[in-house]
Amino acid sequence: MRVLRAWPVLLRVAWAEMFAYRAEMVVWILGTSLPLVMLALWDAAAESGALAGFTAGEVARYFTAVLVVRQLTAIWLAWEFDHDVRTGALSPQLLRPMHPLWWRAAETLAAVPWRVVVLVPLLGALGAWRPEAVAPPDVATCGVFALSLALAWLVGWCVQVCFGCLAFWFEQALGAWQAWFFAWGLLSGYLVPLALMPPSLRDVAAWLPFYATLGAPVDLLLGHADPWGTLARQGAWAIVLAAVASAAWRAGMRRYGAVGA
Amino acid sequence: MAILGLVRTALAGAVQYRASFLLDATTGLGGALAVVLPIAFVYGRAPSIAGWTRPEALLVTGFFLLLQGFVGVVLEPNFAALVDAIRRGTLDFVLLKPADSQLVVSLQRLSPQRAWDGLAGVAVLAVALRDLPAPGPREAAAAAGLFAAGVLATYGLYLAVVCTSFWFVRVDNLRFLLAGVLDAGRWPMGVYRGWVRTLLTVVVPVVLVTSTPALALRGRVGPALAAQSLAVAVAMLLGSRWVWRVAVRRYGSAGG
Repeated sequence: MRVLRAWPVLLRVAWAEMFAYRAEMVVWILGTSLPLVMLALWDAAAESGALAGFTAGEVARYFTAVLVVRQLTAIWLAWEFDHDVRTGALSPQLLRPMHPLWWRAAETLAAVPWRVVVLVPLLGALGAWRPEAVAPPDVATCGVFALSLALAWLVGWCVQVCFGCLAFWFEQALGAWQAWFFAWGLLSGYLVPLALMPPSLRDVAAWLPFYATLGAPVDLLLGHADPWGTLARQGAWAIVLAAVASAAWRAGMRRYGAVGA
Repeated sequence: MAILGLVRTALAGAVQYRASFLLDATTGLGGALAVVLPIAFVYGRAPSIAGWTRPEALLVTGFFLLLQGFVGVVLEPNFAALVDAIRRGTLDFVLLKPADSQLVVSLQRLSPQRAWDGLAGVAVLAVALRDLPAPGPREAAAAAGLFAAGVLATYGLYLAVVCTSFWFVRVDNLRFLLAGVLDAGRWPMGVYRGWVRTLLTVVVPVVLVTSTPALALRGRVGPALAAQSLAVAVAMLLGSRWVWRVAVRRYGSAGG
Protein backbone atom coordinates (compact mmCIF):
# COMPACT_ATOMS: atom_id res chain seq x y z
CA MET A 1 0.00 0.00 0.00
CA ARG A 2 2.75 2.37 1.04
CA VAL A 3 4.63 1.42 -2.11
CA LEU A 4 1.61 2.36 -4.23
CA ARG A 5 1.48 5.80 -2.67
CA ALA A 6 5.23 6.27 -3.09
CA TRP A 7 5.22 5.01 -6.67
CA PRO A 8 4.45 8.34 -8.46
CA VAL A 9 7.18 10.06 -6.43
CA LEU A 10 9.61 7.25 -7.16
CA LEU A 11 8.93 7.56 -10.87
CA ARG A 12 9.38 11.34 -10.78
CA VAL A 13 12.70 11.10 -8.94
CA ALA A 14 13.91 8.32 -11.25
CA TRP A 15 12.92 10.37 -14.28
CA ALA A 16 14.78 13.43 -12.97
CA GLU A 17 17.88 11.33 -12.31
CA MET A 18 17.73 9.73 -15.74
CA PHE A 19 17.12 13.12 -17.37
CA ALA A 20 20.24 14.56 -15.74
CA TYR A 21 22.23 12.09 -17.82
CA ARG A 22 20.02 12.19 -20.91
CA ALA A 23 22.94 12.42 -23.35
CA GLU A 24 24.47 9.35 -21.77
CA MET A 25 21.14 7.59 -22.16
CA VAL A 26 21.01 8.48 -25.87
CA VAL A 27 24.43 6.89 -26.30
CA TRP A 28 23.23 3.74 -24.55
CA ILE A 29 20.17 3.61 -26.78
CA LEU A 30 22.07 4.19 -30.03
CA GLY A 31 24.78 1.72 -29.02
CA THR A 32 22.27 -1.09 -29.28
CA SER A 33 22.84 -1.40 -32.99
CA LEU A 34 22.88 -5.16 -33.29
CA PRO A 35 19.28 -5.53 -34.58
CA LEU A 36 20.23 -3.23 -37.48
CA VAL A 37 23.46 -5.14 -38.12
CA MET A 38 21.49 -8.39 -38.14
CA LEU A 39 18.95 -6.76 -40.45
CA ALA A 40 21.72 -6.06 -43.00
CA LEU A 41 22.74 -9.73 -43.07
CA TRP A 42 19.26 -11.27 -43.23
CA ASP A 43 18.18 -8.63 -45.71
CA ALA A 44 20.99 -9.60 -48.07
CA ALA A 45 20.03 -13.26 -47.57
CA ALA A 46 16.40 -12.48 -48.43
CA GLU A 47 17.49 -10.67 -51.60
CA SER A 48 19.48 -13.72 -52.61
CA GLY A 49 16.13 -15.53 -52.43
CA ALA A 50 17.43 -17.80 -49.69
CA LEU A 51 14.62 -17.37 -47.17
CA ALA A 52 11.67 -19.25 -48.60
CA GLY A 53 8.49 -17.49 -47.51
CA PHE A 54 10.36 -14.68 -45.75
CA THR A 55 10.55 -11.59 -47.97
CA ALA A 56 13.02 -8.72 -47.55
CA GLY A 57 10.11 -6.60 -46.29
CA GLU A 58 9.28 -9.11 -43.60
CA VAL A 59 12.93 -9.28 -42.53
CA ALA A 60 12.98 -5.49 -42.24
CA ARG A 61 9.74 -5.50 -40.20
CA TYR A 62 11.05 -8.27 -37.97
CA PHE A 63 14.32 -6.60 -36.98
CA THR A 64 12.64 -3.20 -36.62
CA ALA A 65 10.27 -4.83 -34.15
CA VAL A 66 13.25 -6.46 -32.40
CA LEU A 67 14.86 -3.04 -32.04
CA VAL A 68 11.69 -1.60 -30.51
CA VAL A 69 11.08 -4.49 -28.10
CA ARG A 70 14.75 -4.60 -27.06
CA GLN A 71 14.67 -0.89 -26.24
CA LEU A 72 11.38 -0.95 -24.37
CA THR A 73 12.36 -3.98 -22.27
CA ALA A 74 15.98 -2.92 -21.63
CA ILE A 75 16.94 -3.75 -18.04
CA TRP A 76 20.35 -3.31 -16.43
CA LEU A 77 19.43 -4.52 -12.96
CA ALA A 78 21.90 -7.45 -12.90
CA TRP A 79 24.91 -5.12 -13.26
CA GLU A 80 23.68 -2.54 -10.73
CA PHE A 81 22.61 -5.16 -8.26
CA ASP A 82 25.87 -7.06 -8.53
CA HIS A 83 27.74 -3.81 -7.92
CA ASP A 84 25.53 -2.86 -4.94
CA VAL A 85 25.98 -6.23 -3.27
CA ARG A 86 29.74 -6.40 -3.76
CA THR A 87 30.42 -2.85 -2.65
CA GLY A 88 27.86 -2.86 0.16
CA ALA A 89 25.88 -0.05 -1.48
CA LEU A 90 22.85 -2.27 -0.91
CA SER A 91 22.95 -1.71 2.86
CA PRO A 92 21.62 1.87 2.93
CA GLN A 93 18.95 0.87 0.41
CA LEU A 94 17.74 -1.78 2.83
CA LEU A 95 17.13 0.89 5.48
CA ARG A 96 14.45 2.52 3.37
CA PRO A 97 10.90 1.59 4.32
CA MET A 98 10.35 -0.35 1.10
CA HIS A 99 11.89 -3.09 -0.97
CA PRO A 100 15.01 -1.82 -2.84
CA LEU A 101 13.79 -3.46 -6.03
CA TRP A 102 10.88 -1.02 -6.20
CA TRP A 103 13.33 1.81 -6.65
CA ARG A 104 15.25 -0.16 -9.26
CA ALA A 105 12.00 -0.89 -11.12
CA ALA A 106 11.08 2.79 -11.08
CA GLU A 107 14.53 3.61 -12.44
CA THR A 108 14.11 1.16 -15.33
CA LEU A 109 10.57 2.25 -16.19
CA ALA A 110 11.32 5.98 -15.98
CA ALA A 111 13.76 5.56 -18.85
CA VAL A 112 11.05 4.16 -21.14
CA PRO A 113 9.52 7.52 -22.23
CA TRP A 114 12.98 8.82 -23.09
CA ARG A 115 13.72 5.67 -25.05
CA VAL A 116 10.51 6.27 -27.03
CA VAL A 117 11.60 9.85 -27.75
CA VAL A 118 14.91 8.61 -29.17
CA LEU A 119 13.29 5.68 -30.99
CA VAL A 120 10.69 7.70 -32.92
CA PRO A 121 13.13 9.60 -35.17
CA LEU A 122 15.12 6.39 -35.60
CA LEU A 123 11.98 4.58 -36.76
CA GLY A 124 11.17 7.57 -38.97
CA ALA A 125 14.55 7.22 -40.64
CA LEU A 126 14.06 3.48 -41.06
CA GLY A 127 10.62 4.13 -42.55
CA ALA A 128 12.03 6.67 -44.99
CA TRP A 129 14.70 4.19 -46.07
CA ARG A 130 12.49 1.08 -46.15
CA PRO A 131 8.80 2.05 -46.01
CA GLU A 132 7.75 -1.58 -45.53
CA ALA A 133 9.82 -1.82 -42.32
CA VAL A 134 7.37 0.29 -40.31
CA ALA A 135 3.80 -0.94 -40.73
CA PRO A 136 1.26 0.26 -38.14
CA PRO A 137 -0.54 -2.75 -36.60
CA ASP A 138 -4.32 -2.87 -35.97
CA VAL A 139 -5.89 -2.21 -32.57
CA ALA A 140 -6.32 -5.84 -31.50
CA THR A 141 -2.68 -6.62 -32.33
CA CYS A 142 -1.62 -3.54 -30.37
CA GLY A 143 -3.47 -4.81 -27.31
CA VAL A 144 -1.93 -8.28 -27.53
CA PHE A 145 1.48 -6.73 -28.16
CA ALA A 146 1.23 -4.42 -25.14
CA LEU A 147 0.31 -7.34 -22.90
CA SER A 148 3.10 -9.48 -24.32
CA LEU A 149 5.58 -6.62 -23.93
CA ALA A 150 4.67 -6.21 -20.26
CA LEU A 151 5.11 -9.94 -19.69
CA ALA A 152 8.44 -9.87 -21.55
CA TRP A 153 9.61 -7.06 -19.26
CA LEU A 154 8.49 -9.00 -16.19
CA VAL A 155 10.23 -12.21 -17.26
CA GLY A 156 13.42 -10.33 -18.10
CA TRP A 157 13.26 -8.50 -14.78
CA CYS A 158 12.85 -11.69 -12.75
CA VAL A 159 15.75 -13.32 -14.60
CA GLN A 160 18.02 -10.39 -13.80
CA VAL A 161 16.94 -10.43 -10.14
CA CYS A 162 17.93 -14.11 -10.03
CA PHE A 163 21.34 -13.48 -11.58
CA GLY A 164 21.84 -10.36 -9.49
CA CYS A 165 21.13 -12.41 -6.35
CA LEU A 166 24.01 -14.73 -7.28
CA ALA A 167 26.26 -11.87 -6.15
CA PHE A 168 25.32 -12.77 -2.56
CA TRP A 169 27.28 -16.00 -2.99
CA PHE A 170 29.78 -15.45 -5.82
CA GLU A 171 32.10 -12.59 -6.62
CA GLN A 172 31.89 -13.31 -10.34
CA ALA A 173 28.12 -13.49 -10.63
CA LEU A 174 28.18 -11.44 -13.82
CA GLY A 175 30.02 -14.27 -15.57
CA ALA A 176 26.95 -16.48 -15.19
CA TRP A 177 24.84 -13.61 -16.46
CA GLN A 178 27.08 -13.33 -19.54
CA ALA A 179 26.62 -17.03 -20.26
CA TRP A 180 22.83 -16.58 -20.05
CA PHE A 181 23.09 -13.56 -22.32
CA PHE A 182 24.84 -15.49 -25.09
CA ALA A 183 22.25 -18.27 -24.96
CA TRP A 184 19.61 -15.55 -24.98
CA GLY A 185 21.07 -13.97 -28.13
CA LEU A 186 20.87 -17.23 -30.04
CA LEU A 187 17.54 -18.58 -28.74
CA SER A 188 15.38 -15.49 -28.15
CA GLY A 189 15.04 -14.46 -31.78
CA TYR A 190 17.51 -11.58 -31.31
CA LEU A 191 20.10 -12.86 -33.80
CA VAL A 192 18.06 -15.44 -35.70
CA PRO A 193 14.27 -15.23 -36.11
CA LEU A 194 12.63 -18.39 -34.79
CA ALA A 195 10.80 -18.72 -38.09
CA LEU A 196 14.16 -19.20 -39.83
CA MET A 197 15.55 -21.77 -37.40
CA PRO A 198 15.55 -25.49 -38.20
CA PRO A 199 12.09 -26.78 -37.13
CA SER A 200 13.39 -29.01 -34.33
CA LEU A 201 15.34 -26.14 -32.74
CA ARG A 202 12.41 -23.75 -33.22
CA ASP A 203 10.01 -26.02 -31.35
CA VAL A 204 12.35 -26.13 -28.37
CA ALA A 205 13.24 -22.43 -28.45
CA ALA A 206 9.58 -21.35 -28.48
CA TRP A 207 9.10 -22.93 -25.04
CA LEU A 208 12.19 -21.42 -23.41
CA PRO A 209 12.26 -18.26 -21.27
CA PHE A 210 14.62 -16.56 -23.75
CA TYR A 211 11.85 -16.38 -26.33
CA ALA A 212 9.41 -15.07 -23.72
CA THR A 213 11.56 -11.96 -23.23
CA LEU A 214 11.95 -10.89 -26.86
CA GLY A 215 10.75 -13.11 -29.68
CA ALA A 216 7.24 -13.53 -28.28
CA PRO A 217 6.17 -9.86 -28.44
CA VAL A 218 7.96 -9.43 -31.78
CA ASP A 219 6.17 -12.38 -33.37
CA LEU A 220 2.84 -11.29 -31.90
CA LEU A 221 3.29 -7.78 -33.29
CA LEU A 222 3.91 -9.21 -36.76
CA GLY A 223 1.15 -11.82 -36.44
CA HIS A 224 3.60 -14.72 -36.70
CA ALA A 225 2.53 -16.54 -33.54
CA ASP A 226 -0.63 -17.85 -31.94
CA PRO A 227 -1.56 -15.12 -29.40
CA TRP A 228 -3.10 -17.15 -26.57
CA GLY A 229 -0.53 -19.92 -26.51
CA THR A 230 2.35 -17.46 -26.61
CA LEU A 231 0.88 -15.22 -23.90
CA ALA A 232 0.18 -18.28 -21.74
CA ARG A 233 3.80 -19.45 -22.00
CA GLN A 234 5.05 -15.97 -21.18
CA GLY A 235 2.71 -15.78 -18.19
CA ALA A 236 3.82 -19.19 -16.96
CA TRP A 237 7.50 -18.18 -17.16
CA ALA A 238 6.72 -14.90 -15.37
CA ILE A 239 5.10 -16.81 -12.48
CA VAL A 240 7.85 -19.43 -12.23
CA LEU A 241 10.70 -16.93 -12.44
CA ALA A 242 9.03 -14.51 -10.02
CA ALA A 243 8.86 -17.35 -7.50
CA VAL A 244 12.52 -18.26 -8.07
CA ALA A 245 13.55 -14.61 -7.86
CA SER A 246 11.75 -14.00 -4.59
CA ALA A 247 13.18 -17.21 -3.09
CA ALA A 248 16.67 -16.17 -4.25
CA TRP A 249 16.18 -12.74 -2.75
CA ARG A 250 15.09 -14.10 0.63
CA ALA A 251 17.95 -16.62 0.76
CA GLY A 252 20.35 -13.89 -0.31
CA MET A 253 19.10 -11.53 2.38
CA ARG A 254 19.82 -14.12 5.08
CA ARG A 255 23.30 -14.59 3.69
CA TYR A 256 23.93 -10.86 3.31
CA GLY A 257 22.83 -10.16 6.87
CA ALA A 258 25.02 -12.99 8.16
CA VAL A 259 28.10 -11.39 6.66
CA GLY A 260 27.22 -8.33 8.68
CA ALA A 261 27.72 -5.87 5.88
CA MET B 1 62.57 -2.03 -25.11
CA ALA B 2 60.08 0.29 -23.47
CA ILE B 3 57.25 -1.54 -25.20
CA LEU B 4 58.46 -4.97 -24.00
CA GLY B 5 58.66 -3.78 -20.40
CA LEU B 6 55.19 -2.25 -20.57
CA VAL B 7 53.70 -5.44 -21.97
CA ARG B 8 55.37 -7.63 -19.28
CA THR B 9 54.03 -5.50 -16.45
CA ALA B 10 50.57 -5.47 -18.00
CA LEU B 11 50.49 -9.28 -18.29
CA ALA B 12 51.58 -9.77 -14.70
CA GLY B 13 48.73 -7.51 -13.57
CA ALA B 14 46.16 -9.49 -15.51
CA VAL B 15 46.92 -13.04 -14.31
CA GLN B 16 46.65 -12.10 -10.63
CA TYR B 17 42.99 -13.07 -10.45
CA ARG B 18 42.79 -16.67 -11.61
CA ALA B 19 39.13 -17.54 -11.09
CA SER B 20 37.89 -14.54 -13.01
CA PHE B 21 40.53 -15.25 -15.66
CA LEU B 22 39.01 -18.68 -16.37
CA LEU B 23 35.46 -17.36 -16.28
CA ASP B 24 36.28 -14.60 -18.75
CA ALA B 25 37.83 -17.19 -21.03
CA THR B 26 34.64 -19.26 -21.05
CA THR B 27 32.38 -16.30 -21.71
CA GLY B 28 34.76 -15.13 -24.43
CA LEU B 29 34.20 -18.40 -26.21
CA GLY B 30 30.43 -17.96 -25.87
CA GLY B 31 30.72 -14.54 -27.47
CA ALA B 32 32.65 -15.98 -30.40
CA LEU B 33 29.94 -18.59 -30.91
CA ALA B 34 27.30 -15.86 -30.99
CA VAL B 35 29.21 -14.26 -33.86
CA VAL B 36 29.75 -17.43 -35.88
CA LEU B 37 26.42 -19.24 -35.49
CA PRO B 38 24.24 -16.69 -37.37
CA ILE B 39 26.58 -17.15 -40.35
CA ALA B 40 26.01 -20.89 -40.11
CA PHE B 41 22.24 -20.33 -40.02
CA VAL B 42 22.17 -17.95 -42.98
CA TYR B 43 24.42 -20.07 -45.16
CA GLY B 44 22.40 -23.13 -44.27
CA ARG B 45 19.85 -21.60 -46.64
CA ALA B 46 21.91 -20.20 -49.49
CA PRO B 47 25.30 -21.03 -51.00
CA SER B 48 26.11 -17.38 -51.67
CA ILE B 49 24.90 -14.10 -50.15
CA ALA B 50 25.60 -10.71 -51.71
CA GLY B 51 28.32 -12.36 -53.79
CA TRP B 52 30.10 -13.94 -50.81
CA THR B 53 30.27 -17.69 -50.30
CA ARG B 54 30.27 -19.24 -46.84
CA PRO B 55 34.04 -19.73 -46.49
CA GLU B 56 34.58 -16.17 -47.69
CA ALA B 57 32.09 -14.82 -45.16
CA LEU B 58 33.82 -16.93 -42.49
CA LEU B 59 37.12 -15.27 -43.39
CA VAL B 60 35.51 -11.92 -42.59
CA THR B 61 34.14 -13.33 -39.33
CA GLY B 62 37.62 -14.62 -38.47
CA PHE B 63 39.19 -11.21 -39.01
CA PHE B 64 36.34 -9.63 -37.06
CA LEU B 65 37.03 -11.90 -34.08
CA LEU B 66 40.75 -11.12 -34.32
CA LEU B 67 39.93 -7.43 -34.29
CA GLN B 68 37.61 -7.88 -31.32
CA GLY B 69 40.40 -9.73 -29.56
CA PHE B 70 42.70 -6.78 -30.14
CA VAL B 71 40.06 -4.35 -28.89
CA GLY B 72 39.42 -6.49 -25.81
CA VAL B 73 43.05 -7.25 -24.96
CA VAL B 74 44.62 -3.88 -25.69
CA LEU B 75 42.20 -1.05 -26.37
CA GLU B 76 39.40 -1.59 -23.83
CA PRO B 77 41.54 -1.95 -20.67
CA ASN B 78 43.88 0.90 -21.57
CA PHE B 79 41.22 3.33 -22.60
CA ALA B 80 39.01 2.47 -19.64
CA ALA B 81 42.02 3.26 -17.43
CA LEU B 82 42.64 6.46 -19.39
CA VAL B 83 39.08 7.72 -18.90
CA ASP B 84 39.42 6.93 -15.21
CA ALA B 85 42.77 8.69 -14.94
CA ILE B 86 41.36 11.81 -16.58
CA ARG B 87 38.42 11.80 -14.17
CA ARG B 88 40.59 11.37 -11.09
CA GLY B 89 43.41 13.57 -12.27
CA THR B 90 45.98 10.77 -11.98
CA LEU B 91 46.98 11.24 -15.60
CA ASP B 92 49.69 13.55 -14.25
CA PHE B 93 51.75 10.50 -13.31
CA VAL B 94 51.69 9.30 -16.91
CA LEU B 95 52.52 12.70 -18.35
CA LEU B 96 55.53 12.98 -16.01
CA LYS B 97 57.09 9.76 -17.32
CA PRO B 98 59.94 10.22 -19.78
CA ALA B 99 58.33 7.92 -22.40
CA ASP B 100 55.88 9.16 -25.00
CA SER B 101 52.61 9.65 -23.14
CA GLN B 102 50.41 8.33 -25.93
CA LEU B 103 52.43 5.11 -26.04
CA VAL B 104 52.16 4.66 -22.27
CA VAL B 105 48.40 5.20 -22.05
CA SER B 106 47.91 2.84 -25.00
CA LEU B 107 50.00 -0.07 -23.66
CA GLN B 108 49.80 0.31 -19.90
CA ARG B 109 47.71 -2.77 -19.27
CA LEU B 110 46.56 -5.85 -21.15
CA SER B 111 43.60 -8.19 -20.60
CA PRO B 112 44.87 -11.53 -21.92
CA GLN B 113 41.62 -13.14 -20.75
CA ARG B 114 39.95 -11.39 -23.67
CA ALA B 115 42.33 -13.09 -26.10
CA TRP B 116 39.80 -15.90 -26.57
CA ASP B 117 38.04 -13.86 -29.22
CA GLY B 118 41.31 -13.66 -31.12
CA LEU B 119 42.02 -17.38 -30.74
CA ALA B 120 38.51 -18.16 -31.95
CA GLY B 121 39.25 -15.87 -34.89
CA VAL B 122 42.33 -17.91 -35.80
CA ALA B 123 40.27 -21.12 -35.60
CA VAL B 124 37.54 -19.65 -37.81
CA LEU B 125 40.11 -18.52 -40.35
CA ALA B 126 41.61 -22.02 -40.40
CA VAL B 127 38.20 -23.62 -40.96
CA ALA B 128 37.37 -21.15 -43.73
CA LEU B 129 40.68 -21.66 -45.50
CA ARG B 130 40.16 -25.43 -45.53
CA ASP B 131 37.30 -24.92 -48.02
CA LEU B 132 39.20 -22.44 -50.20
CA PRO B 133 42.20 -22.78 -52.51
CA ALA B 134 45.31 -22.09 -50.43
CA PRO B 135 46.40 -18.44 -50.72
CA GLY B 136 49.93 -17.86 -51.97
CA PRO B 137 52.57 -15.98 -49.97
CA ARG B 138 51.74 -12.75 -51.78
CA GLU B 139 48.06 -12.99 -50.86
CA ALA B 140 48.89 -13.89 -47.28
CA ALA B 141 51.31 -10.99 -46.94
CA ALA B 142 48.78 -8.57 -48.46
CA ALA B 143 46.09 -9.80 -46.05
CA ALA B 144 48.39 -9.46 -43.04
CA GLY B 145 49.45 -5.99 -44.08
CA LEU B 146 45.89 -4.80 -44.71
CA PHE B 147 44.68 -6.26 -41.44
CA ALA B 148 47.52 -4.55 -39.57
CA ALA B 149 46.52 -1.28 -41.23
CA GLY B 150 42.94 -1.91 -40.13
CA VAL B 151 44.01 -2.59 -36.55
CA LEU B 152 45.92 0.69 -36.49
CA ALA B 153 42.92 2.52 -37.96
CA THR B 154 40.71 1.05 -35.23
CA TYR B 155 43.24 2.11 -32.60
CA GLY B 156 43.21 5.66 -33.95
CA LEU B 157 39.43 5.75 -34.00
CA TYR B 158 39.20 4.55 -30.39
CA LEU B 159 41.87 6.94 -29.16
CA ALA B 160 40.22 9.92 -30.85
CA VAL B 161 36.84 9.04 -29.37
CA VAL B 162 38.23 8.36 -25.90
CA CYS B 163 40.09 11.68 -25.97
CA THR B 164 36.73 13.43 -25.88
CA SER B 165 36.68 12.59 -22.19
CA PHE B 166 39.21 15.39 -21.70
CA TRP B 167 36.26 17.67 -22.47
CA PHE B 168 33.25 15.61 -21.38
CA VAL B 169 34.02 13.53 -18.37
CA ARG B 170 31.31 10.90 -18.64
CA VAL B 171 32.23 9.07 -21.82
CA ASP B 172 32.58 5.49 -20.60
CA ASN B 173 29.56 4.76 -22.68
CA LEU B 174 31.09 6.25 -25.81
CA ARG B 175 33.22 3.12 -25.82
CA PHE B 176 29.97 1.19 -25.69
CA LEU B 177 28.71 3.12 -28.70
CA LEU B 178 31.95 2.35 -30.55
CA ALA B 179 31.59 -1.33 -29.74
CA GLY B 180 28.09 -1.11 -31.20
CA VAL B 181 29.44 0.36 -34.42
CA LEU B 182 32.29 -2.15 -34.49
CA ASP B 183 29.68 -4.92 -34.48
CA ALA B 184 28.89 -4.05 -38.09
CA GLY B 185 32.31 -5.42 -39.09
CA ARG B 186 31.20 -8.98 -38.56
CA TRP B 187 29.55 -9.33 -41.98
CA PRO B 188 31.12 -9.08 -45.45
CA MET B 189 31.15 -5.69 -47.11
CA GLY B 190 28.67 -6.81 -49.78
CA VAL B 191 25.91 -7.06 -47.20
CA TYR B 192 25.88 -3.27 -46.77
CA ARG B 193 24.68 -1.02 -49.52
CA GLY B 194 24.43 2.64 -50.42
CA TRP B 195 25.35 5.29 -47.86
CA VAL B 196 25.59 2.69 -45.09
CA ARG B 197 28.51 1.10 -46.89
CA THR B 198 30.17 4.50 -47.45
CA LEU B 199 29.76 5.24 -43.74
CA LEU B 200 31.23 1.90 -42.69
CA THR B 201 34.17 1.98 -45.10
CA VAL B 202 35.19 5.64 -44.92
CA VAL B 203 33.94 7.39 -41.78
CA VAL B 204 33.96 4.48 -39.32
CA PRO B 205 35.90 1.99 -41.45
CA VAL B 206 35.05 -1.19 -39.51
CA VAL B 207 33.74 -3.05 -42.55
CA LEU B 208 36.86 -2.11 -44.48
CA VAL B 209 39.05 -3.47 -41.66
CA THR B 210 37.51 -6.95 -41.72
CA SER B 211 36.55 -7.35 -45.38
CA THR B 212 39.71 -6.16 -47.14
CA PRO B 213 42.05 -8.77 -45.63
CA ALA B 214 39.47 -11.45 -46.47
CA LEU B 215 39.37 -10.23 -50.07
CA ALA B 216 43.18 -10.10 -50.11
CA LEU B 217 43.38 -13.77 -49.12
CA ARG B 218 41.23 -14.53 -52.17
CA GLY B 219 43.45 -12.34 -54.35
CA ARG B 220 40.59 -9.94 -55.01
CA VAL B 221 41.90 -6.65 -53.65
CA GLY B 222 42.52 -4.09 -56.38
CA PRO B 223 44.97 -1.21 -55.95
CA ALA B 224 42.08 1.21 -55.26
CA LEU B 225 40.78 -0.77 -52.28
CA ALA B 226 44.28 -1.33 -50.91
CA ALA B 227 45.05 2.37 -51.23
CA GLN B 228 41.79 3.25 -49.50
CA SER B 229 42.61 0.94 -46.58
CA LEU B 230 46.09 2.35 -46.13
CA ALA B 231 44.88 5.94 -46.51
CA VAL B 232 42.20 5.40 -43.86
CA ALA B 233 44.78 3.92 -41.48
CA VAL B 234 47.22 6.79 -41.96
CA ALA B 235 44.46 9.38 -41.61
CA MET B 236 43.14 7.77 -38.41
CA LEU B 237 46.62 7.52 -36.87
CA LEU B 238 47.66 11.08 -37.70
CA GLY B 239 44.24 12.41 -36.74
CA SER B 240 44.23 10.66 -33.37
CA ARG B 241 47.82 11.78 -32.67
CA TRP B 242 46.72 15.34 -33.29
CA VAL B 243 43.61 14.97 -31.08
CA TRP B 244 45.78 13.47 -28.32
CA ARG B 245 48.22 16.40 -28.44
CA VAL B 246 45.45 18.99 -28.33
CA ALA B 247 43.72 17.08 -25.53
CA VAL B 248 46.84 16.75 -23.37
CA ARG B 249 47.65 20.40 -23.81
CA ARG B 250 44.16 21.21 -22.62
CA TYR B 251 44.52 18.89 -19.63
CA GLY B 252 47.72 20.64 -18.58
CA SER B 253 46.29 24.08 -18.97
CA ALA B 254 43.41 23.14 -16.68
CA GLY B 255 46.02 22.82 -13.94
CA GLY B 256 45.21 19.12 -13.39
